[in-house]
Amino acid sequence: MTRIPHLATIAGLSAAFVAGGPAREARPSGPADAQVESVSMPSPSSPLVAFRFVVRVGSQDDPEGKEGLAALTAAMVAEGGSRSLSYEQLLERLYPMAASLDGACRKEVTVFQGTIHRDNLNAYIPMAAELLAEPRFDPEDFERLHNEALDQVSKSLRGNNDEELGKWTLQCELYAGHPYGHPDVGTVAGLKSITLDDVKAFHRAHYRRDELLVGIAGGAEPTTLGQLVARLGAMAAGTGKPQSPALPAPKPPHGLEVTIVSKPAEATAISIGFPIDVTRSDDDFYALAVANSYLGEHRTFNGKLMQDLRGKRGLNYGDYSYIEDFIQEGGSTFPVPNNPRRQQAFSIWVRPVPKDKAVFALRAALWEHDRLVEHGMSQAEFEATRAFLLNYSKLWVQTLSRRLGYAIDGGFYGRKDLVTELAERLPKLTVDQVNAAVRKHLKPGGMRVAIVAGNAEELRELLTSGKPTPLAYDTQGTPEAILEEDKAIAAFPLKDVTVKIIPVEQMFEN
Amino acid sequence: MPRNFACLAALLIPAIGAAALADGPARAPAEPAGGRPIFPFPIRTTSLENGLGVVSVPFDSPGIIAYYTVVRTGSRNEVEKGLSGFAHFFEHMMFRGTEKYPAEKYNDVLKSLGADSNAFTTDDWTCYHMTIPASALATAVEIEADRFRNLKYDEPSFQKEARAVLGEYNKSASSPFLKLEEAMQDAAFTKHTYKHTTIGFLVDVKDMPNQYAYSKVFFDRWYRPENCTIVVAGDVKHDELLSLVKANYGTWERGKATVEIPAEPAQAEPRSAKLTWPLPTLPILFLGYHMPAADPSNTDVAALGALEQAVFGETSPLYRDLVLKEQKVVTLMADAQPKRDPGLFSILARVRSSDDLPAVRSRIAGALKAAAETPVDASRLDAVRSHLRYAYAGSLKSPDAVARAVGESIALTGRPDSMNELFAAYERLTPADIQRVAARYFAPANETAITLETEKKP
Repeated sequence: MTRIPHLATIAGLSAAFVAGGPAREARPSGPADAQVESVSMPSPSSPLVAFRFVVRVGSQDDPEGKEGLAALTAAMVAEGGSRSLSYEQLLERLYPMAASLDGACRKEVTVFQGTIHRDNLNAYIPMAAELLAEPRFDPEDFERLHNEALDQVSKSLRGNNDEELGKWTLQCELYAGHPYGHPDVGTVAGLKSITLDDVKAFHRAHYRRDELLVGIAGGAEPTTLGQLVARLGAMAAGTGKPQSPALPAPKPPHGLEVTIVSKPAEATAISIGFPIDVTRSDDDFYALAVANSYLGEHRTFNGKLMQDLRGKRGLNYGDYSYIEDFIQEGGSTFPVPNNPRRQQAFSIWVRPVPKDKAVFALRAALWEHDRLVEHGMSQAEFEATRAFLLNYSKLWVQTLSRRLGYAIDGGFYGRKDLVTELAERLPKLTVDQVNAAVRKHLKPGGMRVAIVAGNAEELRELLTSGKPTPLAYDTQGTPEAILEEDKAIAAFPLKDVTVKIIPVEQMFEN
Repeated sequence: MPRNFACLAALLIPAIGAAALADGPARAPAEPAGGRPIFPFPIRTTSLENGLGVVSVPFDSPGIIAYYTVVRTGSRNEVEKGLSGFAHFFEHMMFRGTEKYPAEKYNDVLKSLGADSNAFTTDDWTCYHMTIPASALATAVEIEADRFRNLKYDEPSFQKEARAVLGEYNKSASSPFLKLEEAMQDAAFTKHTYKHTTIGFLVDVKDMPNQYAYSKVFFDRWYRPENCTIVVAGDVKHDELLSLVKANYGTWERGKATVEIPAEPAQAEPRSAKLTWPLPTLPILFLGYHMPAADPSNTDVAALGALEQAVFGETSPLYRDLVLKEQKVVTLMADAQPKRDPGLFSILARVRSSDDLPAVRSRIAGALKAAAETPVDASRLDAVRSHLRYAYAGSLKSPDAVARAVGESIALTGRPDSMNELFAAYERLTPADIQRVAARYFAPANETAITLETEKKP
């Protein structure tokens, strides 16, 4: 995480609670001199208080052979009780407040969050702080959560959701042999090798005051943040040296490198992607954000992918594109905050299509991408998309918790929060800058494709033969212009195709 | 922390034939016997002469509103054979445009607003929603009124959208939970339209391209002012909203169609089904018990909501034993979600080993029997009430969440503030109420049991 320069130690706790934007500070948190960074966003009229605790440790920090250790440690913190309370006792205390401290391990950070009513603030704070600083590490909790993680990889991820399976397959292929190259929850072999002592040691090494950022937003008293930070003094102070592992450059794909996960499936889920060297730290990111919104804004009807694949052809339920890792928050259409990464990938998500239309759908997505790269956006398309994104992005921070999350992410990238960055940068962008950024970053030498399908061998033959894959409609009245486009799409060249087939039982094993 | 499975039961009380929205000034929520009302914002309602409801919920959300159009039609309204899933399909068609705003132009307008716009369908209602700048209210009213009154689409686009719906089915079908839900509703209901899930029977979904003519009947039947309510939450002034709605919807004519939804006869004997899944999966036990259509005057509804928490919640003895101590069960949850018509109290247990399925089923039955025989401690009931209250308060954290809560209340009861009555009922509950409903609704004859296990390969 890129930290902003620490402010001078404050004299009074209430100094953090000023009107306006977030206040970000480093605070003394205990007898040692290491400090806890904090962000506060007061909203005195709110009855709710949102907390975020972001620890700079993620699945990238999993030791080789123990993939899943960071996530299991996060689970033991959030769902395993504390020094003074067993998990059962903790539940008893939290239940009447309808409170929790939810943990999520991502690539580079682990985030714990909770939103509670201010009536319960004084009871919640000591429990949340103790969970982070002094988890219980009870063997029974470890057994429960260890088994749960194993089930999640070997059963849920493999067999209960083809779209998630495809997206994780793509992630693993994009970053093979790289700290990002396994599911955050872990691999089967990695999880099996993890012991409770591994978890304790991992917590000791990484859950330190100088690796923690505390965020609080909403209707708390001004002294609350100080009380919370003081309680976190039980955490180790740390060395003050960044511990994130170096990230090698991901191996660039050549041609179309296809991985087919073979499993019983009625329809075919497809994910496409390639690494890009742009993050929110880079100026080009904001130009790409406009282009991506034009191509495939997540779960909206604005994108060309959605309009052309679903709207005009009825191929599937949805088609979207991304310039950074995207995890949808619950039932909303918005991304979860606090998923910052030093390396990102461009990707396209094609939701399941009928078997006989799968290769056409893949070609159609590649064709749309190709059209964007080769022709760029027109001035009118650019202006319409920019206007949309300027307004739409403001909706990403509707709740206290999300505002807090975006403010924290801004610190990671050394920028303001994403919504503010977009508001400041988009009005100054030109269509030429956007199209130049597209040509520079979204024209790869090759792409990786992950497909989850029940007809793997047939797909391999179709993909490697180079033969056109015309679309046969079982609906009437497709306009002539679309049928003409279909001919071009059906013959869109799939260059240098290599295909490997992996039985689903072997996925995420090592 | 454990995953917080939604306690939908806490939120809504469906009631058939509830009073229509009445004209009224802004009013503070009614004070229930137990103290402050659960819904903290004033609700102002007006009913136009044509029956269209207009509801505003102003609160501190500078510059942002959530704009909802609530249609009191869901898959429960699909009475014709072969047309299950049509309410949901029709929700898709509502984005296909009008003469004034063809689909692309409609989308361009939303795009210019930066709207977060979508729709959803449930068993009981269909909802069109957008979150937009408050300054865009007039535009929202105009484009929504236009498509609700002047929807226009041709057969080819109808057929293309039907295939998008099949894609949606396919998306969900890789999860065993769709299969479980389909089996439960099919087995537990014999006459009522809750027999199918909201997305519909697969055979009907596949046949949708052939139902263009019926789609016109459906629109004419259900997309009528007396069946719709506009709800706007956030930075909104009621008078301004009302003026815009009157100007754009005022001459919309009432409908004439009536449709009888068949009542479900009482279940007389246990029902069951065994499912398999082609890949390794955790075994699942899924139980359903008929429960009443929620009615604000029926204490059983609140009592079943409290029982859900007392017997199956994360601090219940059953959860402690099966999930935390013995670790036989990975997920234990119950759902007393009220519906507009009598629905199901459901219980789901994901079990670590198939060998434990019979024992887990027996333990669940034992917990329900104990709840019928022994009153719950008063302190436990207090904790349940507190949990429900704070969970609800915490859910109202954005304009969208507030509009959805009010919209759901309207959809199921005809009134925007029935959540206050439900929470007042929670306050009045006694341990004897929970004991009574435990004895009444969980009899074997009222039970449907579905199991799902990994398919055994030869």
